[in-house]
Amino acid sequence: MATFHPRESRYPRREFLQRGAAGAFAFSSMGTLLAACGGGDNGEFRPPELQLARPDNPVTHPLFDDNPMIASGLDPEGGTLRIYNWNGYLWPRIKKDFAKEYGVKVEETFFSTVDEAIAKISSGAVDFDVFFPTVDRVSRLVVGKTLQPLNRDYLSSLGNVWPSLQDPWYDKGSQYTVPYVTWTTGIGYRTDKVSTTPESLANPYEIYWDQANKGRLFLLDDSRDAIGHMLLKNGISDINTENPDEIELAKGELKSLIGAVNVKLSTDDYTNLPEGKAWVHQMWSGSAVSAQYYLPEGVGADALGFWFPPDGGGTIGSDLMAVPKSAKNPVLAHHFLNYLLDEKHGYDNFVNYVGYQPPFTKLDPDRLVADGVVPANLKTAVVRQSDFDTGYVQTELTPSGQTLWQNAWAEFKAGV
Amino acid sequence: MSEPERADVGGGSDNAFWAGFALPGVAWLCLFFLLPFYVILCIALGTVDPIFQTPAPEWNPLRWNTSAFEFVLESLFTSGAAFQTVFVRTFVYVTIATALSLVIAYPVAYYVARYGGRWKGVLLVGLIAPFFISYLMRMLAWINLLQDDGWVNDVLIWAGILNAPRNWLDGRASSVILGLVYGYVPFMILPLYAFLDRIDRSLLEAARDLGASPFQAFRRVTLPLSMPAILAGIVIIALPMFGDYYTPDLLSGSPQTSMIGNQINLYIRGGQQIPVGAALVVVLMLFLTVLMGYYLVSTARAQRRLGR
Repeated sequence: MATFHPRESRYPRREFLQRGAAGAFAFSSMGTLLAACGGGDNGEFRPPELQLARPDNPVTHPLFDDNPMIASGLDPEGGTLRIYNWNGYLWPRIKKDFAKEYGVKVEETFFSTVDEAIAKISSGAVDFDVFFPTVDRVSRLVVGKTLQPLNRDYLSSLGNVWPSLQDPWYDKGSQYTVPYVTWTTGIGYRTDKVSTTPESLANPYEIYWDQANKGRLFLLDDSRDAIGHMLLKNGISDINTENPDEIELAKGELKSLIGAVNVKLSTDDYTNLPEGKAWVHQMWSGSAVSAQYYLPEGVGADALGFWFPPDGGGTIGSDLMAVPKSAKNPVLAHHFLNYLLDEKHGYDNFVNYVGYQPPFTKLDPDRLVADGVVPANLKTAVVRQSDFDTGYVQTELTPSGQTLWQNAWAEFKAGV
Repeated sequence: MSEPERADVGGGSDNAFWAGFALPGVAWLCLFFLLPFYVILCIALGTVDPIFQTPAPEWNPLRWNTSAFEFVLESLFTSGAAFQTVFVRTFVYVTIATALSLVIAYPVAYYVARYGGRWKGVLLVGLIAPFFISYLMRMLAWINLLQDDGWVNDVLIWAGILNAPRNWLDGRASSVILGLVYGYVPFMILPLYAFLDRIDRSLLEAARDLGASPFQAFRRVTLPLSMPAILAGIVIIALPMFGDYYTPDLLSGSPQTSMIGNQINLYIRGGQQIPVGAALVVVLMLFLTVLMGYYLVSTARAQRRLGR
C-alpha cells in the first residue's frame, strides 16, 4: 500500500470536481434569489448573476468597485505567505525555495473537500493568500466576492501557458484565476494481464464490460468521470448533459457493470493498477504518469497502458490558482503565482511530486518522453494543447442537473 | 462505603450537592450531543446557500422544509429503491458481524476471566493491544493480507484448501463482514470480560452442588448472569458498525457491498443535497435509538431478575 503518498489525497480534490462541477449556475431563479438578498436598492442595484460558463459560452466575470485589484509596482510583503491547497498538490521544495528567495515564511494548510475550503474562506474566518480552486467553482467564487481580481503586471510568466488557457472560456482574460495543471480521464490497463486492449476495440469504452477482467475492473469513484465515460461510450459527447433520458441510460450502463464484472470504485488508480488489484482502471492522466513508480519489482513500465481517444475526443480538465480577497499578502501571493508559472519551477513541481502537468507551451509529449518523465508507451497520458480544442470539459451543472447526476450516482453506488 | 456515609448521601441539603455532580455530564450532553443534533436536524430541514452551496440550516421550526426527509423516507419505504437496499444490506451485515463477534468474544472473555490466573493481566493487555493501532491502519493491513500474494492466500494454498490465489478483494460481502468483525471484536471482549470476571464463583459451586453438570451450570447460571454484558457488547459494537463506511470502501469498493454510511458520505460531502445526507443521519439515529431503547429495557429487566 502506498498509503502515505501525498497524492492519495487527490480523492477529495476530484470529489470536489465532481460536486463542484455539479456546481451550478446562472439560472434565472438564481438572479431572483440574489435580488431578494440585495434588498433596499429600489431596483437600481442589479446583483450580478452567476453564469453557466461553457466552452461555447465564454464568461467574462464582473469586476466590483468594492473588490479592487492591487496596484502595480508594489513591493512584496514580508512575513508569512499562507497557502490553502489540497494535500500533496505542491512540491514542498517549491515552498522552501520561494521562501528563501523572498525572505519570507511559507505556510501551507490543507483542505479535504472544496466545499470545506469555500465554507471557510467565505465565512471570513481564515485569510489565505493563495487558493487552488477549480474551473467549475470560479463563477461562484467571483460573485461571492471571495477572490480578488489579479493584476497581470505581476504575472509575466503567464505567457508560458497555452494561449487558449491565457484567455480561457471560464474566466475570459484570466481576470481572477491562472491555470495550474491539466489532466485527462482515460482508461489505464495492464498490458501483461488483459486479453483485449481498449485500442483493439471498435468502441474502446466496451473494455469495461470484458468478462476476462471480472473483479479487476475499476471505475473512478467520481460521478462526473464515471457517468461521463458511460455517456461517451454511447456516443453522447455532451458530458454535462442534463437530459434525464441520457442520465438514465448512463445509470443503466453503470448498473450493468455490477452484474457483468462486479465493478469496483476507487480513486487510488495510481496504485491499484501497478499493484495488480486492477487490470483495467478508469484513470486520470496524472495517475498514469505516477503509476510507474508503484510497480512491483521486476515489472517494467511497459506493463502499463493508457488509452485516451487519439482524436482528442475525451474527458479533459484543468485546475487553477487564485488569490482570495481576504489575502493579507496579496502582492507576495501574485509573486508566488508567477513563480509557479515559471517554466522551470512548474516543470520541477510536476515531475518531482505532483504528477499533473502544467499547461506550458514548451512541454510536449516528445520532450517528456525524451526527458524520461513519461515512458514512451504512456505518451497518451500527456495532455496536448490541441486536446482542449477537441476534448470535453466537465463544467458546472444547474442545481437541478446536479441533483439528477447525484441521485443517479447514489443509486448506482447503492448496488440496487 | 460505610453506613454513616450512605446516610449522608440521602440527607436533605446535601442532595443538591451530590446532584451537582451530574452537572458536567449534563452540560456535556447538551453541548456536544443535543446542540449538534439540533444543528443536524436544522440542516436536514434547511436549504443550501445559493452561491457557496454550503448548508443553510433553518433554525426556525416554523419554516422547516421537509423535502429532504420526504425524499429519504420515500426511498426507504419503496421496495428496491436505493436507500432501502442499502439499509437492509447494512442491517444484515451488522447483524452477522455482531453475531460472529459474540461467538468469538464470549469464549475468549470467558477463558481469560475464569482460567487466566496470573496471566490475566498479560492476556488483557494482549486483547487491548489492537486498540493502539488505528482502525484505519488495521483495515489497510487486511488489504495486504487478503491480496493475491498475501498471507491469507499463501496459507490456504499451503494447507491445500486452495489451488490458486483467490481474489478476496474483488468486492465480496464476506471480506467486508470479516473486516467489521475484526475491527470491532475487542470492544465486545472487554465488557464481557469485566462482567464475567465479577461473577461470584460460589454461585457456580452451588449449582454443581445441587447436581448441575458443568454445561448446565453455564447455561443456567453464567449465561443468564452475563446477559447484560452481552447486550452491552452488542450495543457498543453495533452502533458504530451502522455508521461505518470505510470498511466496505477499503475491503471491497463494490457498489454491491456499500453500506448506509457510504450513502450518507456521498450526500454530505458537498453539493446540492446536503440536507438529504443530514436527513439520512437523523433517520439512522432514530432507528438506533429504538435499538438503544430495547437495550435499556432489557437490561433493566435483567437487573430486576438478578435482584430477585
